[in-house]
Amino acid sequence: MFTYDSYHLPRTLREALELAATLPADGKVIAGGTDIVPYAREGRGGDVHFPVLLDVSKVAEFQGYAIENGRARLNAALPYQAFLEDPVLRENLPCMPGCAIWFADDQIREQATLAGNLVNASPAGDGAPPMMALNAEVELARLSGGEVTTRRLPLGEFITGPGRTVLEPGELVTAVICDALPGYGGSFQKVGQRRSLVISRVCAAALVKLDPTRHVFEDVRLALGGIAPVPLRLHDIEEMLRGKKITRRLVAEASVIPADRVASRTRVEYRRHVVRGFVEAAIEDALVACGAPVPSDRDREEAHA
Amino acid sequence: MPDHVMNLTVNGRKVKRPLGENYRLLDFLREELHLTGAKEGCGAGECGTCSVFVDGKLVKSCLMPTLKADGATIETVEGLAPLDSLTEVQRAFHKTGASQCGYCIPGMVMAATAALRENPEADFEEIKERLGGNICRCTGYAKIFEAVEIARDVIAGRLPQTALEPDAAAESFIGASVRRIDAPSKVTGRLKYAGDMIMPDMLHMQVLRSPHAHARIVSIDTSEAEALEGVACVITAADVPGEDGFGVFVHDQPIMARGKVRHVGEAVAAVSAESVEIARRALGLIKVEYEELPAVFDPEEAMRPGAPVIHDYAPDNLVKHIPIRKGDVEAGFAEADLIVENTYSTQQIEHAYLEPEAGLAYVDPDGVVTIHSPSQNITHHRHMLAKIINRPINKVRFIMSPVGGGFGGKEDMIYQGMLALAAMKSGRPVRLVFTREESIIASAKRHPARITYRMGLKSDGRITAVSFRMISDGGAYGMSTEGVMRKAAILAFGPYEVPNLKVDTYGIYTNNTPSGAFRSFGAMQTQFATESHLDLCAEKLGLDPFEIRRRNMMKIGSTTHTGQMLETCSMEEVLRVAEEFCRWERGAPTSRGATRSDLGGPDTRKPCTLGARFKMPEAEESKQEVA
Repeated sequence: MFTYDSYHLPRTLREALELAATLPADGKVIAGGTDIVPYAREGRGGDVHFPVLLDVSKVAEFQGYAIENGRARLNAALPYQAFLEDPVLRENLPCMPGCAIWFADDQIREQATLAGNLVNASPAGDGAPPMMALNAEVELARLSGGEVTTRRLPLGEFITGPGRTVLEPGELVTAVICDALPGYGGSFQKVGQRRSLVISRVCAAALVKLDPTRHVFEDVRLALGGIAPVPLRLHDIEEMLRGKKITRRLVAEASVIPADRVASRTRVEYRRHVVRGFVEAAIEDALVACGAPVPSDRDREEAHA
Repeated sequence: MPDHVMNLTVNGRKVKRPLGENYRLLDFLREELHLTGAKEGCGAGECGTCSVFVDGKLVKSCLMPTLKADGATIETVEGLAPLDSLTEVQRAFHKTGASQCGYCIPGMVMAATAALRENPEADFEEIKERLGGNICRCTGYAKIFEAVEIARDVIAGRLPQTALEPDAAAESFIGASVRRIDAPSKVTGRLKYAGDMIMPDMLHMQVLRSPHAHARIVSIDTSEAEALEGVACVITAADVPGEDGFGVFVHDQPIMARGKVRHVGEAVAAVSAESVEIARRALGLIKVEYEELPAVFDPEEAMRPGAPVIHDYAPDNLVKHIPIRKGDVEAGFAEADLIVENTYSTQQIEHAYLEPEAGLAYVDPDGVVTIHSPSQNITHHRHMLAKIINRPINKVRFIMSPVGGGFGGKEDMIYQGMLALAAMKSGRPVRLVFTREESIIASAKRHPARITYRMGLKSDGRITAVSFRMISDGGAYGMSTEGVMRKAAILAFGPYEVPNLKVDTYGIYTNNTPSGAFRSFGAMQTQFATESHLDLCAEKLGLDPFEIRRRNMMKIGSTTHTGQMLETCSMEEVLRVAEEFCRWERGAPTSRGATRSDLGGPDTRKPCTLGARFKMPEAEESKQEVA
């Protein structure tokens, strides 16, 4: 059973930070709340009581997004549904519609936030791989001597382990800032137990840009989730593909490499199998999103042979 | 916090009410505002029975802390249409028969309404995707999606309003589409299931369950729980006034664990209190001392001498053995050109009806112990309960509330006895609503089975002898096991005729969750084995799978292995239609591989995918080519 003594719903950043500064250790900051409410169930957290809940979803400064100088500022209360339905976000963050559609269902996406997903820091969190691929940074704010001070960290440094981040007491995530990449093809792969609404076992995100000849990888971004304590960016494979002529064989070769990186505690062999297929499918789907022809199963078999 | 006053607009009306102990929006709507159209199917955001609009966006109200919605505008299923009318979506659900048990339907209607509000032109794939967060266990979704498409076209003016009217009355009901008379009460959320009912002065029950699979109960101390403010009573097996024991065949199950627990999740004690929260707190104050006993989880191990004994009356752990013999099996095998042997296993399966178990009991002014519950077997329950509570049958009344999906899983009296005892002990109405987790841990499952098949065949495919041995895990209590074993034995060899046969089905006690009734009742396990085995034999003999079935099928005049002469038999027709419909490519199973011509095609279902809203459809199409 999910119970609480007090519930705060601040409307401004200052108000939120003041509440965060006095939040007791067993208090909890929430945004959408879609993870914490079902956590308080038999078999997970059981009966969970929070003395204080601080709900930051109505903070004015946390609403909406802005795109400036090639970067997108995604404020902390931006729900997942925006990545699916907002045409500007879809164009600028090409790997996010796929992430959003697999993230949950329409009803949960209306509540759940990207920032909350990253703060949860689940090794299988859907939001982290595409954000790693988009060179995301996390902006944190706190009150210091009555003044609002902020700091920014790359996402890879913000998440330090399963369920662990560098967030300090009194600190709130205010925004996620990432590359805006119109013109890239994006994709997201995920495997779980149900089509709608499932937690990933493994997920992968890819972004691809073609050069003007449309036969060469101008840029490639790849990241994986669910295979290690923290999400991984695959810089070496990106490097291997960048500037090369696009062939099935090259994509197949690249897809074999990251299986070695699987460092999960469970289902290691399974995850290795999935990863190979996922990296390949992620690149192929991103290429298709750029307008490349859809490869047939036969092409794929030949490339692997 | 409970005295915080919520200010909301709900279905167009201003509402100002204290929060109380309604921590989630779903609880506030149901318990404070009595808007019970939103249901709790899972409490974890998985099933969508609780969907409501908050400020115009459809959300799952079981995932929303109530205070998040303070000041919001809420629309529930009750507010979609004026009292005496239905929206196009609701009428379309009525028209197509989309509502069956009805428990998912308020949420489905809300999700369908949201889908068409977000995109009035949503195509079939997008409708499927937008309804993806809502689960239905009755319909297979086809009628629901059909309803949404009809509603969409009527709203857009592409179909006339008359498309929502019932079909014209036909000469016969057979073959005609007849609308369900209970659909309007379901599509509007008006129908009250047991968990939606309230009575003045009602108490709330919570159940303490066993953490052990097999343990002796040394002592139960309920004194601290009983002393907690707000607790009306605590009951245990000691409160049973009559002869304790229920079950569909053998009455081996006490209302609550008596002397020992036999599976994880077995009820040990139950608290009735002023609120669910108090009752849950009281559960934590009950002290139970257990002495763990060796447990057995595999039925074949449970059959071995020296295995832990689960019920004293059954030292061999046997619930029921059903043997059937026909002809001379050894002679049949001797005559065979080929003998094929294999073992098949099936798993435990949960019914997962959307409505978790719930009930409301009270003692009426004439002393009649009355229980409302979605029981699938009220008359039998009434007889058993009368003995258990030691009252004459006319002082026990069972009222069947609407069943939000049963599929056999609500045949067992696993909680109604506790409600009756608590109502008798407290003198007040008592309601118990299972959580989804509780429903899964405490309710019966489909029997897991291990079937060893031995079949003798002539080289032309005619079967000369069959030996069929099925070991089923009955779990901790008998429940419907005997019936399931009988049905399994009767249906063991399916619609085929064989001169020599030996069938043995065994239901065995283990310390697993009890197995019970589940639609098809023993036939699913046996058919899986029989049909798989026939395919295997066809492969070994180089025969077409349809052909081997034709050579052995029952016909008019055949005698079943239980001695019934068939006056009608449609097996030949069924095979013909099945073969035609699937465009079967003839030949032995060995003759085909990835190149077979009967895969895919215009009327086959495509693999599930997501992204109907942004994917290029032609890309999807070409991906599904069979290489």
